[in-house]
Amino acid sequence: MAIQKKQGSDRLLALAGWAYLLLGFGFLLLPIFALVLFSFEDSRLPTLPWTGWTLKWYNFLLSDGRLLEALKNSLIVSPLAAAAATVIGFFAAYALNRFEFWGKKFLSILLIVPILIPPLIMGVAFLGLLSRVNLQGQLLSVFLTHVVILIPTAIALITIRLAQMPSDIEQAAWNLGASEWQALFRVVLPWSIPGIAGAWLLSFTFSFDEFVIAWFVSGFQPTLPVAIYSFMAFNLDPSLNAIGTIIFALSILLLVGVELLLIPLLLENRSNSKQA
Amino acid sequence: MVLSQPHTQLSETNPASSHDLELVDICKYYGPLMVLDQINLNVKAGEFVAIMGPSGCGKTTLLRVIAGLEGVSQGHVLLRGQDITGLPVNKRNTPLVWQSFALFPHLNVRQNIAFGLTLTRHIKAEVQQRVQEAAVMLNLEPLLDRRISQLSGGQKQRVAIARALVTKPNILLLDEPMSALDPHLRIRMQGELKRLQQALSISFFYVTHNQNEAFSMADKVVVMNQGRIEQIGTPSDIYNAPATHFVAEFVGNNNLFEGEVVEINNQTIQIRCAQGLIQAPYRDRPHQIGERVTVVVPADRMVIASTGPIENSIQATLRAREFIGSQVIYYLETSTGQEIKLIQQQSLNESLNVPINADLQLSWKVESTILLGERSVDAP
Repeated sequence: MAIQKKQGSDRLLALAGWAYLLLGFGFLLLPIFALVLFSFEDSRLPTLPWTGWTLKWYNFLLSDGRLLEALKNSLIVSPLAAAAATVIGFFAAYALNRFEFWGKKFLSILLIVPILIPPLIMGVAFLGLLSRVNLQGQLLSVFLTHVVILIPTAIALITIRLAQMPSDIEQAAWNLGASEWQALFRVVLPWSIPGIAGAWLLSFTFSFDEFVIAWFVSGFQPTLPVAIYSFMAFNLDPSLNAIGTIIFALSILLLVGVELLLIPLLLENRSNSKQA
Repeated sequence: MVLSQPHTQLSETNPASSHDLELVDICKYYGPLMVLDQINLNVKAGEFVAIMGPSGCGKTTLLRVIAGLEGVSQGHVLLRGQDITGLPVNKRNTPLVWQSFALFPHLNVRQNIAFGLTLTRHIKAEVQQRVQEAAVMLNLEPLLDRRISQLSGGQKQRVAIARALVTKPNILLLDEPMSALDPHLRIRMQGELKRLQQALSISFFYVTHNQNEAFSMADKVVVMNQGRIEQIGTPSDIYNAPATHFVAEFVGNNNLFEGEVVEINNQTIQIRCAQGLIQAPYRDRPHQIGERVTVVVPADRMVIASTGPIENSIQATLRAREFIGSQVIYYLETSTGQEIKLIQQQSLNESLNVPINADLQLSWKVESTILLGERSVDAP
């Protein structure tokens, strides 16, 4: 009897847990679901009752060249900024991991600082700096500022991977006749690939989403978030829902990409440590 | 002070060309800390040299100095008569078999073995052939396309050795290569390694803290302690005639008794110890009456009195017994509280069923007694 009772209360508890989880996720995801749904709603007003399905808001977006132009800008800036930050991040992480040098602590703090400063301050500061050297208001300015703010992320992710590398294997490469550069490219780099890929993906996502700094420095070549903001200032119709849906779909695709890369990496490490 | 060490033998008189490796006055310090202290050592062509010592004695540092992974503060490293002291690590061709194996996880077995050849221009067919040769030599042919994560410990070790041998070095450095293996595998690998070394007729420079490995494989054993060489000799030299207190305590199963020389004649020396009078053979080392000395008696040279000749003997109480294979180890205690170890073949022992806590007489031959001078002041 007592055992049955206990089983019953256990099941109730499990049920309550699931309900809680569903409510939590529902609360988080319902607005997004509504956004996606109403991007296909015929009426201007995003309210029930449902008046009909349409793709006209997507059509409206595509026929307005500004957003597409901005998307193109973003797709130029973000991959390149992510790539540059990843390359710089790899070498910085390698140096911090391998060498002891004067000012190392100071440098590692300096490299993290961009993440700690509010973007608003960063945006104003970058605008001030870039306008002095006549680099403001172009795609290049967004690229430069994004590289700066993405480096800490890249360093952090690649450092995690490098810290797991047995120091023996690089020395083993030297011992077998590899120069330092050969060892770097043929042993350290392949080892770091998962970290590098993760760093690039995350940097790309950050850059693609970044609004505040881009709003200050992009000028006449806005990135997608900046363009969406100016678009919103004039249009309050379901085409905003359509933009949201597109961005959401892109983010999901990226997230899945990151997980496909990072989860095998984590699993591989777990099986490695099991063997050890 | 260090040069006056009497036991640092430099007996090799061969010309330099027959040496694969010469270490001349190697010193290394980290600040005030002496890690290597005046290391002088030669490795003859085709010789299997084992460096043995407790952890922290500097043996691995010495290996890394030879490989060029560490610099020296003083002294020279000569490879086949050529001074390589200043040569960078990748220009030395002194491949190392790592304790952790240090295989490249992103490459398969074949690519790991070929690594050293792919760094410089080599004809593809030649690389393939040399990898094949190394794989045949170490029984790795069926594994060539495996990933490193799919290998067992013993297989990884064979890959590590093949990878090191593929560049055809004159000397192979091995850093405790057995320590990551299962015990049963270790014994088998010892035989395989020795056969491999003889087949290749290259020198092996083998670092270990395990005396069984050193004694079973090496032509020459070097015992190190606190950055210094304590003794260089054949395994039987080291085992039967330890030259210092450290070697006597570290190697083998030796019983040590402190005492004072009371009588010297032309054949024997009498020493008075807390356990009684002990006789030692008069060897070339001069001793004086009244000198403090240490008597060393190997555990396997002692017998329980009724079964052996009585030349030297002491009284002790049996405290414990341990059976290891065909051997029995007796742990005894003298009236002064000193522990004594005695090793016998089991067959000898079967008739002698001694109860624990029995008082026994232990005896050994005079010629099995080794005499050491007084413990030097700076010894541990």
